[in-house]
Amino acid sequence: MSQTSFSPDLTAAVTTVPFQRRTPWWVWAIGAAVVLLLVVAPLVMDIPTNQMLARVGVFAVAVLGLNVIMGYTGQVSLGQIFFLGFGAYVTAYGVQQEWPILLTFVLAIVLPGVAGLIVAFAAARLGGLAIAMVTIALPIIGVPLAKRLSDLTGGSQGISARFSDAPEWSGLADDQWQYYLVLLIAAITFVLVYNLTRGKFGRALAIVRENENVAKAMGISPYRYKVMAFTIAAMIGGVSGFLYMVVVQYTSPETLAFHHSINLLASMVVGGAGSIAGSILGGFYYVFVPNLTNEIAPTLTALIQGIILLVVLFVLPGGLASIPHRIRRMLRSRRADTDSSPSHSK
Amino acid sequence: MIRTTRSGKAIGVLAVGTAVALLATGCSRGGGSGDGGDGGAAASPGITDTTVTLGVTTPLSGGTAGPGNCTVAGLVAYMGAVNDAGGIEFGDGKTRTVEIEAFDDTYDPQKALSNFQQNASDVFAFTSGLGTPTNRAYREAAIADEVPQVLVMTGDPIFSDREESPWQLGFVPIYQNEGAAFGELLAESGEELTVAVLSQNDDYGEGYVEGFKEAIEGSSVEIVKELTYEATDTSVDAQLTELAATDADVFFNAMSITPLVISAIEKTKELAWSPSWFLPSNTSSPTAILGPAGADPAAGFYSVSFSKAPQSPLYAEDEDVKTFLAALQEYSGDYTTTPDFPHCMWSYMVGATLEEAFKNTEEPTREAFMEALRNIEGLQAPLMLEGTEINTTEDGLPAVSTVVVQKYNGKGYDSVEAFG
Repeated sequence: MSQTSFSPDLTAAVTTVPFQRRTPWWVWAIGAAVVLLLVVAPLVMDIPTNQMLARVGVFAVAVLGLNVIMGYTGQVSLGQIFFLGFGAYVTAYGVQQEWPILLTFVLAIVLPGVAGLIVAFAAARLGGLAIAMVTIALPIIGVPLAKRLSDLTGGSQGISARFSDAPEWSGLADDQWQYYLVLLIAAITFVLVYNLTRGKFGRALAIVRENENVAKAMGISPYRYKVMAFTIAAMIGGVSGFLYMVVVQYTSPETLAFHHSINLLASMVVGGAGSIAGSILGGFYYVFVPNLTNEIAPTLTALIQGIILLVVLFVLPGGLASIPHRIRRMLRSRRADTDSSPSHSK
Repeated sequence: MIRTTRSGKAIGVLAVGTAVALLATGCSRGGGSGDGGDGGAAASPGITDTTVTLGVTTPLSGGTAGPGNCTVAGLVAYMGAVNDAGGIEFGDGKTRTVEIEAFDDTYDPQKALSNFQQNASDVFAFTSGLGTPTNRAYREAAIADEVPQVLVMTGDPIFSDREESPWQLGFVPIYQNEGAAFGELLAESGEELTVAVLSQNDDYGEGYVEGFKEAIEGSSVEIVKELTYEATDTSVDAQLTELAATDADVFFNAMSITPLVISAIEKTKELAWSPSWFLPSNTSSPTAILGPAGADPAAGFYSVSFSKAPQSPLYAEDEDVKTFLAALQEYSGDYTTTPDFPHCMWSYMVGATLEEAFKNTEEPTREAFMEALRNIEGLQAPLMLEGTEINTTEDGLPAVSTVVVQKYNGKGYDSVEAFG
């Protein structure tokens, strides 16, 4: 499971830079084509498709946040939706108070981050299931809190904030503008996390996930890294909350209900835990599958989603992001077959 | 974790890109609606010369699935019977059948908006959906796209405010209406009554109390003590003890949580306080609340309603109820065939209201439909109690704003004319 193959030198994972092949040209070509496609897409696609893709972006970021703490650091967190909801509320409140949107954006990241930090101080001291329990408490406290602080949150009727309509100068329709806004912010977040998890920090997280004693022996404080990962996950949750408001423009206590956390978790597992591409696929799963099941049979949505989840887990335990890996392994074993037995022509 | 080599990543990215590309195929951006304006108004989306499509986004799975399924079942039952009879003759002279598309939003605001966005181009009007946050989530989008979102099941007054919600209309009475109906009954009695008030500390409880206070203003009814509790509280014993000390004649209990109501009824018995009770319509079920709590009918338990209760023996032989139950059996198999929640009856009435509006819709456009819908007065929809009616002409009020006060008789409820 680990990306670090075990060697007698236990510090190798942190001290040596992982072996990297030269990137073949076609990877760049495909990357450029995808970027081009993502940028051009909203100009030609119809409104509902753009709106759906924008929502995918929102939840891809939310799943990414969860991936940082669960996929990369291996700590069970069932409270991610709380940070999304917190970010959404901060955004809605900021818009209502007519704060500058940049300030609102920063606060929507910082405040959930601070909340995450405070919780992490307590949670990271605990191990395994205890962390899960502490994080469950977040959405469970969050919902009644959002109802009770009705001066700030609008109570159980929620709070609307329309701030993401396309400005005149852009010449774009609302759905296109929102799509680009989500694309830009999500892309930056993904690049940051990508770099974070591939650097020294990411390798330290991997050690903490695999074996805390080994980490300690290497001078990596598991506590510190868990707190940091938790805080970063909360900040990314805040980003997704801001994006949620860009796209949905409304939030209510229902937004941060506990069962959405479970849905996010399912999306992360289906997409692929500890994988950047998996987060994007998780976002697709979160948004696209309910739409799909609604088309098939609106009264059986929960059942069909359950079946899809089970099928994915049985067939692809590593999530959708492990498909290329599976294919490569299949090809390799076939090649090995033919190499080792050239006399048997198939 | 999967092995993360660069080429592996690239294939991952390619997979995503392909998915996006697949989505892009076949969808080309172009002004779909609004063109072809030669002579007369062009038809809105979701309506043809022979059919009209209604959308319902409502919780069909999850915690609120029971009432949610009912909000579709009644409507499907009503329209199923109408379609079998040939359809509805619209105001423009064409006869159309009604198709209903239900979408599950699991009570998630984000999914409700998603259902709206994905389907607004095929649906003539959204209707009957349950839930304040879910309906609120797509309210502004519906206004921006000029799509009707009408006869929705929420007690939130914003949907009936025409200035704020030009494309919306609520169906069920707002909380204030219910509180006011009971207040009026007390005020009319002319007696000197003392009232103790306990309410949930949110818009729900405040709405009930606000309506009640307005109705008793200037009468001989006096509120002697007013307390609140939080929706998250597991016990209200402290409040009840304090209220019992007043020994008020009437206990106005604006509570939305079933177990709390039951324990409140039991606790007051313990405290030897026997006031007359007022309970909101959603926490006054004879079978789920009053029966289990051992409520004594002699004390006087009052609630409000506007629909006949099919389960009550009183209406077993009622024509409306028989037709309703038969239609539910025949057409609503996908949702529910038994009216476990009042929402089944309500959505049946929504069907009748929509039929009336369609009959007066002069052009196949959403504008004409809204105009016709806002012009219904004195409609006695099937299953409505005597003394209640559909009236969509008054700004600030939902389609049903009149409720009848009822009194518990040990099994079900009887309508009452006077307090006492």
